[in-house]
Amino acid sequence: MSRRSRWITLGAVWGAVVVAAVVAPFYLEGFWLQTGLFAMSAAVGAIGINLLTGATGQLSLGHAFFLAVGAYAYVYLSTDVGLPTPLAAVVAVLLAGAAGGAFSPIAGRLKGAYLGIATLALIFGGQHVLFNAEPLTGGYNGRAVPPMELFGFVFADSPGLVLLNVPFGALERLWFLGLVVLAGAAAFARGVLRGRPGLAMNTIRDHEIAAGVMGVPVARYRAGVFVLSSMYGGLAGVLVALVFQRAVPDYFGFLLSLDYLAMIVIGGLGSVAGAVIGAVFVSLLPQLLTRYSDALPLVAEPGSGGVSPAEAARILYGAAVVTLVLFLPGGLLGLATRLRRVIPRIKELRWLNSAPAPASRR
Amino acid sequence: MIPELVVSDVTVRFAGLVALDSVSFTVRPGSTHALIGPNGAGKSTCFNVLSGVYRATSGSVRFGDAELTASRPHQVAALGVARTFQNIALSPRLTVRDNLMLGRHRLTRSGFVSAGLRLPSARREAARHGARVEEIAEFVGVAGVLPTPVGLLPYGTQKRVELARALCMEPRLLLLDEPVAGMNGEERREMAELIVSVRESLGISILLVEHDMGMVMRIADSVTVLDFGRRIADGVPDEIQRDPEVIRAYLGDIEESAS
Amino acid sequence: MTTFLELLVNGISVGAVYALIALGFVVIFKATEVVNFTHASLLLAGGFLVAKLHPALGFWLALAAGVAGAALVGALIEFLIIRRARVGSHGVLAIVTIGVDILLTTELTREIGTDVLALGDPWRDQVLHLGPIMIAETRVVALGVAAALITAFLLAFKFTGWGVAMRATAEDAETAALMGVRLGRVSLSAWAVAGALAAIAALFLCVFPTPGLDRSTTAAAMKAFPAAILGGLDSTTGALAGGLIVGVTEALMSGYQSQLAFLGRGIGDAAPFLVMIAILLFRPAGIFGTKELARV
Repeated sequence: MSRRSRWITLGAVWGAVVVAAVVAPFYLEGFWLQTGLFAMSAAVGAIGINLLTGATGQLSLGHAFFLAVGAYAYVYLSTDVGLPTPLAAVVAVLLAGAAGGAFSPIAGRLKGAYLGIATLALIFGGQHVLFNAEPLTGGYNGRAVPPMELFGFVFADSPGLVLLNVPFGALERLWFLGLVVLAGAAAFARGVLRGRPGLAMNTIRDHEIAAGVMGVPVARYRAGVFVLSSMYGGLAGVLVALVFQRAVPDYFGFLLSLDYLAMIVIGGLGSVAGAVIGAVFVSLLPQLLTRYSDALPLVAEPGSGGVSPAEAARILYGAAVVTLVLFLPGGLLGLATRLRRVIPRIKELRWLNSAPAPASRR
Repeated sequence: MIPELVVSDVTVRFAGLVALDSVSFTVRPGSTHALIGPNGAGKSTCFNVLSGVYRATSGSVRFGDAELTASRPHQVAALGVARTFQNIALSPRLTVRDNLMLGRHRLTRSGFVSAGLRLPSARREAARHGARVEEIAEFVGVAGVLPTPVGLLPYGTQKRVELARALCMEPRLLLLDEPVAGMNGEERREMAELIVSVRESLGISILLVEHDMGMVMRIADSVTVLDFGRRIADGVPDEIQRDPEVIRAYLGDIEESAS
Repeated sequence: MTTFLELLVNGISVGAVYALIALGFVVIFKATEVVNFTHASLLLAGGFLVAKLHPALGFWLALAAGVAGAALVGALIEFLIIRRARVGSHGVLAIVTIGVDILLTTELTREIGTDVLALGDPWRDQVLHLGPIMIAETRVVALGVAAALITAFLLAFKFTGWGVAMRATAEDAETAALMGVRLGRVSLSAWAVAGALAAIAALFLCVFPTPGLDRSTTAAAMKAFPAAILGGLDSTTGALAGGLIVGVTEALMSGYQSQLAFLGRGIGDAAPFLVMIAILLFRPAGIFGTKELARV
């Protein structure tokens, strides 16, 4: 493919994605809108942990903690402190970053899987606080999340709004907020990865000593990336709280952290697109299985004793993590890249089916 | 200004094992200095001390006014000390250009915010340093492979990329850890020429660990010989070649020096 | 004072059980440099087998089957997955073990459901009176068994050919291989031993005063992670010390919960992780861990 035609294809694909994303709320029912929103918030969180784990090689099992900080800080700041909701959201993200910064004596000095174990403390300590600090967190029952209000526009079901004959409730409105936040978060992360910090992060992952010798302050960078990924976690937490309209401690447990790691392995380690693909996959899978459980073999209705959709999804993506690492180290993104290289060659072959096959490059 | 590198009485002990035993030598500004010795003599340990990777048990390393033994690797790098590694230490999945751009790390400033937001300052910086990276790649002879991921390149080219990355730091002192190890004769000759031309065109000091005695004797201005962690000789190549103790140290290691 | 002593003895006993788990974890790390996150599910697998088999086989046979089963699961994970994963970094391998853990834990907790499974042990809820101190018989047995196993293990590690091969591999895998150590066998046996130890630990985590094996058993097993890392991931001594520290901390914090009410309910469960952080702040490589010396 020539450069020009590649650009055209790329532009067409992106155009289609944007159009689909914009018209979706006019066609999709609430269930899928909500699923889509969960996928968007998961994508934001996954981009964050991919900066840390995929690009810098630092494992974290504590990502769910930072989502919790974001979600609860938003609730607390908007409800109890009375900050305007957009400001509360921004401060909540900053607080998540500060929480990550408070962990930096550990995050800067421990590397790889060591850090992974240490971050378990965030989950278990965090859960302890969430259940016990009732005035702040509402304890076991959690707290209601006030809707976002931006320049007088409320992201809730009321006051009612009808657009092109479609009633625009909370989910439809949040959909666009989610799109904007995700696009911004993705663009920022891409800038970081392609710029000076990204090179330093990748080198720390590939060869820590070389990074230091080339002038990269390794511990400071590790701590810095940890803070950045915490802020992404916090932002994902605010989003998920807005969609869910309630923040409950059980959601922000160990399993959520595992979900995030599964996302980036499945999607592709170290890239923004990989994080987004993995987030969509992991968020959509249980919902698809729930929706079509009666049509699927092996998957039973929830509570009927068989394999529930949530369990089936978990087993599937656990298996996906293992098989992808074994057979397809680049994740789904790597698969897409490979197909893109192979498909034009297949087409070529078809055109030349009478001619001898061109010599393979490998 | 290129300062002197003064290594004095550096001792390194690992759990009872003495890897370096009060070693001293001086690299004069703008000279090519070779550090040689049989395997296990402590050459790599010495390099690791100089670049801040290992902490010396005692002794001092001064580069101009700065004390290197108290510095972390990135602080040593900030003084303009660059090094290459015996076993290639590049990022295999990054392109040659990205690997070289990492060499500009100490000379550039953009952080998470300016890179994330793609501020004009970050873009200008990237463009300016990108141009310099291309010049250096041209000089080292890897300009043709700039967009190629390093992992796909042949070994000899990767060695050159390592040298190019070190040069991208605009060093005042260049530490080369076995730059021609594992290369064939032609590649060795080219690398030796390249090192000579680096010294001539940039005027920087070069400290070199190498097993290829022919090359050392051709390009080094002075030589320090280590054996079992101790310095056994120090002088110009002609003296070293005639030094009885050096000959004795190498006799048990003939294959090594011949290869 | 009596309360304190009771708590201390209980803590040491539970700590010895954590040490068993942590020891397996450390052995895998030493042999393969993999941080093994499947450890909690290995433990769950062992306990589950004992719980399911004891009505038919009787307790001792069921225990043997559980130990063998967990060892087999460990060996299979190594043989089918870890060995075949051609990834450069051990960090990615750690994520693979997380994938395996998701699989195993989901399936096992699904099988367990909301039940609490008894393990059919012969000690039941008998309590021993040692002067003023009352202590569950299971705790005494746990302490004895753990101490015996740990001693046997450390002796084997030091004196048998297997132990030498294991330590040589930990020191320098490449050289060990050149000297004729079969790395595959070393790594396979490490995983099997870790599985077996985890199954024994499962037994003692699920007997009196714990009601039995249920979904929350994994959470208990996870406390072996801080035990392993605060002692030092590459140190068997560290695993012992770490296990004891975690066990005693947890027992004391839970025991004095009413006096520590300001710390909130269930502080005993969070305490091991907080102690881990406190120690890592001062010793990033753990108490007995060696600071890794870079080889370049």
